[in-house]
Amino acid sequence: MLTFSIKRLISAVPTLFLLITVAFFLIRVAPGGPFDSERALMPEVEANLAAKYHLDEPLIFQYGRYLWQIAQLDFGPSFHYLDWSVNDLIAQGWPVSLTLGGLALVLALLVGIPIGVWAAVNQNKAIDYTVMSVAMIGISVPAFVMAPVLILLFAIVLGWLPAGGWAFSFDRMVLPVLTLALPMVAYIARITRGSMIEVLHSPFIRTARAKGMPEKEILTNHALKPAMLPVLSYLGPAAAGVLTGSVVVERIFTIPGIGSYFVQGALNRDYTLVMGVVILYGMLIILFNFLVDLLYAWLDPRIRYEDLNEGGP
Amino acid sequence: MECTHRPQSTFVAIAVGLMLLLSGACSVGAATLHRSVGPEPDALDIHLAQSLSAVNVLRDLHLGLIGLDAKARLIPGVARQWSVDDSQRVWTFELDPQARWSDGAPIVASDFVAGWQRAVDPTTGSPVAGLLEPIQHARAIRRGERPVDSLGVVAEGPHRLVVTLEQPTPWFEELLTHPVMAPWPGQTQRFSGAYALVERLPGAHLRLEKNPHYIRAEQVALGEVMWHVIEQPSVELSRFRAGQLHITETIPPGRMDWLERELGTSLRIAPYLGSFFLAFNVARSPFQDQPDLREALSLVIDRERITRQVLGAGEQPAYALIPPSLPGWNPPEPFTTASKAARIERAQALYAQAGYSQDNPLKVELRFNTSLNHRRMAAAVGAMWREHLGVHTRLVNEEWKVFVTNRRQGRITQVVRGGWIGDWQDPANFLQLFVSDSPLNYTFWRDARFDSLMATAQTQSGQARMATLAQAEQRLIDAHVIVPLYYYVSRHLVQPNVNGWEDNLMDIHLTKWLSLE
Repeated sequence: MLTFSIKRLISAVPTLFLLITVAFFLIRVAPGGPFDSERALMPEVEANLAAKYHLDEPLIFQYGRYLWQIAQLDFGPSFHYLDWSVNDLIAQGWPVSLTLGGLALVLALLVGIPIGVWAAVNQNKAIDYTVMSVAMIGISVPAFVMAPVLILLFAIVLGWLPAGGWAFSFDRMVLPVLTLALPMVAYIARITRGSMIEVLHSPFIRTARAKGMPEKEILTNHALKPAMLPVLSYLGPAAAGVLTGSVVVERIFTIPGIGSYFVQGALNRDYTLVMGVVILYGMLIILFNFLVDLLYAWLDPRIRYEDLNEGGP
Repeated sequence: MECTHRPQSTFVAIAVGLMLLLSGACSVGAATLHRSVGPEPDALDIHLAQSLSAVNVLRDLHLGLIGLDAKARLIPGVARQWSVDDSQRVWTFELDPQARWSDGAPIVASDFVAGWQRAVDPTTGSPVAGLLEPIQHARAIRRGERPVDSLGVVAEGPHRLVVTLEQPTPWFEELLTHPVMAPWPGQTQRFSGAYALVERLPGAHLRLEKNPHYIRAEQVALGEVMWHVIEQPSVELSRFRAGQLHITETIPPGRMDWLERELGTSLRIAPYLGSFFLAFNVARSPFQDQPDLREALSLVIDRERITRQVLGAGEQPAYALIPPSLPGWNPPEPFTTASKAARIERAQALYAQAGYSQDNPLKVELRFNTSLNHRRMAAAVGAMWREHLGVHTRLVNEEWKVFVTNRRQGRITQVVRGGWIGDWQDPANFLQLFVSDSPLNYTFWRDARFDSLMATAQTQSGQARMATLAQAEQRLIDAHVIVPLYYYVSRHLVQPNVNGWEDNLMDIHLTKWLSLE
């Protein structure tokens, strides 16, 4: 396992390098620059700013300088939010995104998996159809619809919860966490149901039933673990996505996470901020995919690290 | 078993939490004013900030030589009195010895000298240093042609500041109210204004507390103000309706009827010193040397319909550049004195004279930056051109950075969205956009007569100056390089328990003049 882990981590380096390279040059290809605004700067002032941020150097030199900077974990100053460095912005915003995303993820797992199992054991019954229909609605209704509806109901009509704003307090988190979690609950429920139905029709489950094992024991001891494999596949990229914030949810609930930096950074041509959040997102994707591979092996004894070394399950 | 216990306990926690919140603990507290700042301020450095949101916060944090009252009229600031010599170029300010920074240190004349020198220093890279250009040598210093200490500002002792201007500048006093002209606090976090920054969370809020050392602290009613960062007007509205905001920065477009019905007592709409227009690129085909064609396109646009049916938030139809609400300004007579039918008839004749017809229609690109109002306006204008002249209009929506770059370069533009919000209450602030060498002249119109009038106005004062500027505006209008569409209005929602709010042309509402019932 250790060899496998080391190999995977080493293989992540070129992936990350490629991501940084592509993102670095792509953002600079976009028309307009970080200092373009309605009032054009005097050429002398613009030249000074370009020199200050090394934007007057050849692109390849800028690239080399940037690589050296991030090797020292310095993502540089933000070009738009002049009072902050990118490290500051991520350090202040990521805990918020992490908290909301983490809670949403936990909620989605705690609700989605039992619902999916429940629907699977009641396959083709009214419960199954009801649960799956509701799940389909959860998947179909986008966050920019769900969030205003929740605000209207709970903040404006009932007045139970705030309409937005941020604090590490329960009342501020309920609506954004719900908005983030609902589509994930729906996805996880549907994936769990499909996978569980397949497992419940497997020969080893039939054997267990033939031996007289109680249904509850079959579910918890034998069916649940293999049924979780597709859920795990979904969870890798989903976790990376939800833990780096959501533009829509952050905008609607005015939450200071890092999700909106993806969009604002690109619109403001804030090169360093875009690079910072892209690198963070890329690292999380790599990390979660690695964790998923490890969990695969734990959930399914048929999968060995040797298999994973040869390309995964 | 564990799996079944966890969700139950989570649900119980959520239910208990919801019950605890039934008391309505989320509404705004009485002691603190909650107001929206709009988008995240770009900087709180007085020399680097250029966004409107930053300037609004900085006005709470910093006080210059001259201040503003609740109606944005000039009142003494750090300077208790001032005078100007006969040449109208040398200003002497007597500073109030009681003026203090938020750390208790006295504010002295050299703090202004240091600040203004830093602002024009090209190494600072200030995007707003152009505002200091009336001061002697400021422009040359910005270009790197003179040393920073040659700037025309001198501290004659701790409480006297003498400023020398390049030439008489009628708006100089108003300029001094801008945060970029405030005393420089140095690298320490201290403030000369009514409030001091105590907390800032990017993307969330800025918390300001009353500055106990403020020069007129006894006039400040509110102990604390929270400026909330809210990008979306619809989100502001939600939070206002939920009782979480006392004042919004704006209102969502296209919901006026509903807002008037539901929140009429909170709605504050007032004239704002800004005008919106379309600008022709007269350096390129098809509008180069085609004033008649440009006039035809202007004549068929029904401004009343656009302001009433497309925008509908109280905007005023515009037929000239400078808002008529500007004090002391007499706008030129609009062409609406002719009937609509006569205008359209004339437009069609001019269109035909320019060589266009139904069989050979003008094909034009109308470029604007992303905004619901801009899109609606552009669609309406395109429809009017099509209906009355048969013009084929392609609407080109661009994101902000791309738009401003294209507009400034003028390589591909034909008709672009234009507009200007006055920095101070003076007609020259609007007209200077169209001087031949202005970097903001995205019409690329070069007119020696207009430039000459503007140069003459700089040497005049009083009514003579206003008359010259009126001639300059008439020249601009007659050349049809722009199509004025409407004058802006300021739009806010203000809770009924907020006292001291005064609508004003500059839309400046300092927290220090507000209080809560």
